[in-house]
Amino acid sequence: MSANTAQRKAPWILAVLLLSQVILMSTNARHPESEQSFLRVWLVTAFSPVVHGADAVISSVRDTFSSYTANRHAREENAELRDQIDQLTAERNKALERQAELDVLRTQLALPSRPQYREIAANVFSRDAVLWFRRLTIDRGTLDGVKRDMPVATAGGIVGRVISVGPNYAMVQVITDKHAGLGAMLQESRAMGEVHGLDNDRCELKNISTRENVEVGESVVTTGLDRIYPKGLLVGTVESIEADPNAPWHRIIIKPAAPVDRVEHVFVLLVEQKDLKLDETGK
Amino acid sequence: MQTFKIALTIIVALLLQMLLPKYLNFFSYIDLPLLVTVYFGLQREPVLGMVTGMIAGVGGDAVEGGILGVGGFSKTLIGYVVGMASVKLSLENPLARLSVVAVASAANTALFVGLHQMLEQPLVSTWSEFGATIGWKALGDSVTSLVMFVALDRFFSEQAAARRMAIKKRFYE
Repeated sequence: MSANTAQRKAPWILAVLLLSQVILMSTNARHPESEQSFLRVWLVTAFSPVVHGADAVISSVRDTFSSYTANRHAREENAELRDQIDQLTAERNKALERQAELDVLRTQLALPSRPQYREIAANVFSRDAVLWFRRLTIDRGTLDGVKRDMPVATAGGIVGRVISVGPNYAMVQVITDKHAGLGAMLQESRAMGEVHGLDNDRCELKNISTRENVEVGESVVTTGLDRIYPKGLLVGTVESIEADPNAPWHRIIIKPAAPVDRVEHVFVLLVEQKDLKLDETGK
Repeated sequence: MQTFKIALTIIVALLLQMLLPKYLNFFSYIDLPLLVTVYFGLQREPVLGMVTGMIAGVGGDAVEGGILGVGGFSKTLIGYVVGMASVKLSLENPLARLSVVAVASAANTALFVGLHQMLEQPLVSTWSEFGATIGWKALGDSVTSLVMFVALDRFFSEQAAARRMAIKKRFYE
């Protein structure tokens, strides 16, 4: 095809290409499985080993430099960490004591015990590729038993849920993403609401009545009612409360407990919706 | 060979888009598949511009997340418009290329946000946020294009030579 012929046909080619994109958009926009499309799984599966390899090289170089600078402050940090160990040991002992009491009470009241879920560790090798979505890509996939909608967390608290998974990767929607949501409650008052992402590394806890007494620093945990996150996982702490006397709801801003904007290692809770359904019924 | 080099450029752009924002936060404001689209659009071949735009756009949608086809639609259109503009106007000099990138970036952001809004998945809440995002993205894309286009000119030296010839031809005519 000569240059002139190609140029003459260009509007027609444009129309065909745009129409194909419109069809692609329409089929994907409303489809609940759209994040799991064949094209996405195929492409990210192919790209993942390369990105993961490059990430490992960059991380090791960066770690070499940062370990040198970190050594300079090792003495002060060591003293701080020893203090923290003492404090955490005391807290752990208290928690163990409470756990023992709780186990006795659960047995006396014939309540079912809390289920323990299997978890696998994963490395984050890609994060927030574009401005619009808060997403992580981790190096575990279906070959490791990861499935869609499985929760992802750190020792500090929850990070998000798996929205797309291939053999060697899983894409995680972080709780601060504008389109993310989960059932959560205030740990003290047990008032239930919904947590939504605010895109600025913060979340908002919605639907908490202004009649509820909410304190800054109070912990927010999952309710387990969204059938994705098991009950009692730490979401974050209340950072600020905007109480409008005329509004029926508080505006509560939450700081996520997990460092979602810089997390490097996470673990995936191998829990499925059917397991959570069984937990609810207590079977 | 040329097709292979173009495919390789798109793949490298997508890989870097996946990798770099983890280390450089500001990289989220930069759209490498868009810059590749604009570069090939500026080669005075609208068909090449739009086909590159479609492949880079759909690939971007796949690796970055979001609704498949939205990025493909906006970049196909931008590839075509830039290709047609480069045929009719003199866009070979670096300053003109910089302006084209800035306008293409703003158009791409507006189309991307608008299409998501139409598909009931809003990405921005206020007009001021929308305006600020367009501005920052246009700045990020323009600055990155200064480096990226030089690298691509070296990689596609024949196209760069043809571009220089076109500048001379227009100048002497």
